[in-house]
Amino acid sequence: MHLLTRIIPIALLLAAWELVARVGWVNPNVFPPVTEIVLRWLVLFIDGRIYGPLWDTLWRALVGLAAAIAVGVPLGLLMGRARWAEWFFAPLFSFGFPLPKIALIPLYVHWFGLFSLSKVMLIFTDCLFPMVLFSYHGARGLSPVYLWSAQSRGTGRVRMLWRVVLPLSLASIYDGVQVAVVVAILVAVVCEMVSGGGGLGELMIRSYRYGDVRTAFAMLVTISLIGYALYKVAQWLRGRLLHWHVAEA
Amino acid sequence: MKALATAKIIPLLLLLAAWQAASATGLLPKSVLPSFWDVAASLAGMLRSGEIVPHTLASFGRAGAGFFAAVIGGVTLGLLMARIPVIERAVEPILLLIYPVPKPAMIPLFMIWLGIGDFSKIAVIALACLLPVVVATFNGARSVDNLLLWSARARGTPERRLLWRVVLPAALPQIAAGVRTAIAIAIIVLVSSEFISAEKGLGYLIFAYGGVGANDAMLAVVIYLAALGYLLDRCYLAGLRRLMSWHAFAH
Repeated sequence: MHLLTRIIPIALLLAAWELVARVGWVNPNVFPPVTEIVLRWLVLFIDGRIYGPLWDTLWRALVGLAAAIAVGVPLGLLMGRARWAEWFFAPLFSFGFPLPKIALIPLYVHWFGLFSLSKVMLIFTDCLFPMVLFSYHGARGLSPVYLWSAQSRGTGRVRMLWRVVLPLSLASIYDGVQVAVVVAILVAVVCEMVSGGGGLGELMIRSYRYGDVRTAFAMLVTISLIGYALYKVAQWLRGRLLHWHVAEA
Repeated sequence: MKALATAKIIPLLLLLAAWQAASATGLLPKSVLPSFWDVAASLAGMLRSGEIVPHTLASFGRAGAGFFAAVIGGVTLGLLMARIPVIERAVEPILLLIYPVPKPAMIPLFMIWLGIGDFSKIAVIALACLLPVVVATFNGARSVDNLLLWSARARGTPERRLLWRVVLPAALPQIAAGVRTAIAIAIIVLVSSEFISAEKGLGYLIFAYGGVGANDAMLAVVIYLAALGYLLDRCYLAGLRRLMSWHAFAH
């Protein structure tokens, strides 16, 4: 019942859209009917044109994200537990977090070329901020009881970060991953729209240049679905991996 | 408080000093990254000649128009959704549908619909800013203390007045947080849209300088944009603190 009430407004909206486009109140080459967009979307999958760009966007986003996790989590944890690291990095990262990293596209193209590397690096840079900040907040808010008990058993400093601080900060780190996964897809697509080099973003801008609204729309649907799917996967993983987690830590 | 703020700036200054030192000693070739001094000089030149002013106005005109449209529309919609169940049931699923769409990816479509001029950019910025404002307003208005509503009703406040005089003020802290998110989003979408198509604006300027290899000028505009964004955020927070000094959350 609840699901049904949610579907009704969307169904009405889509039906109105279809009707307006079919009746000819709007130019169907500017605002095509929903069914034609869905059809184009299916065709893109059936004739296989979409797989190459889809793969390009996906691997760039995931590699950039993975690199940001690999670098950001240790750095964030260190900031949470070591005074000097907090003193130096915390202001830099909290200052840089809201700034538009997208503006660095031309610089990254100059440094890393037009192709995948510049995109992966920008995705890495952009995702690094949420990863560092969420890990940092996770590690900072730990109850000292856990640290004391580990310390009293003679746990060394590096081991402490790895075996005590990391597991206890995981909930916050996963929040960071969920933010970063959305950022990764967004930055990948914008980079591809701006500097080309394959991927869904480039395909989208190319279909715009040819005035092919249906493909552009199908791209938008695909991009949104990927973003949503990755977000859901991150959420699912979080549930699977964190079921043991102590909530109050 | 002041001392704390100064201490926070030291790492940034250290970073800039290291950048300048690396350039000056030749460790960091200027073809890779121009020295900080060159970038600063370039920025000073642009400010003095006034070259950057029309681009700033063009950019902030677009971002401002989209942003304010989103705030007005978002607060209204959020309040209505929170108080009128039919509107909530009609609008919420549609918002959920648009939520996961990366807004900058809609730029090409909006350019088809509204042309490559200012209109399409403003529309995308407005749409991107709308969602955090609606969600924040809705959540804020939803969690209004019933005691406030009851006491206002008991004093004979009509329902419509209730919305503006009780629900809106009580929801302000959450709305303020949503609006702050919208400021950051507005700048990101602005730059993306100006990278894709513009003949004026800060994003265009960054792209044009980058395209001809004038890296010092390009970085100067990037830093200028970042500084403006930062200042905007600070001004917003300062204004908020002053405006809402009466509110419980300020204490």
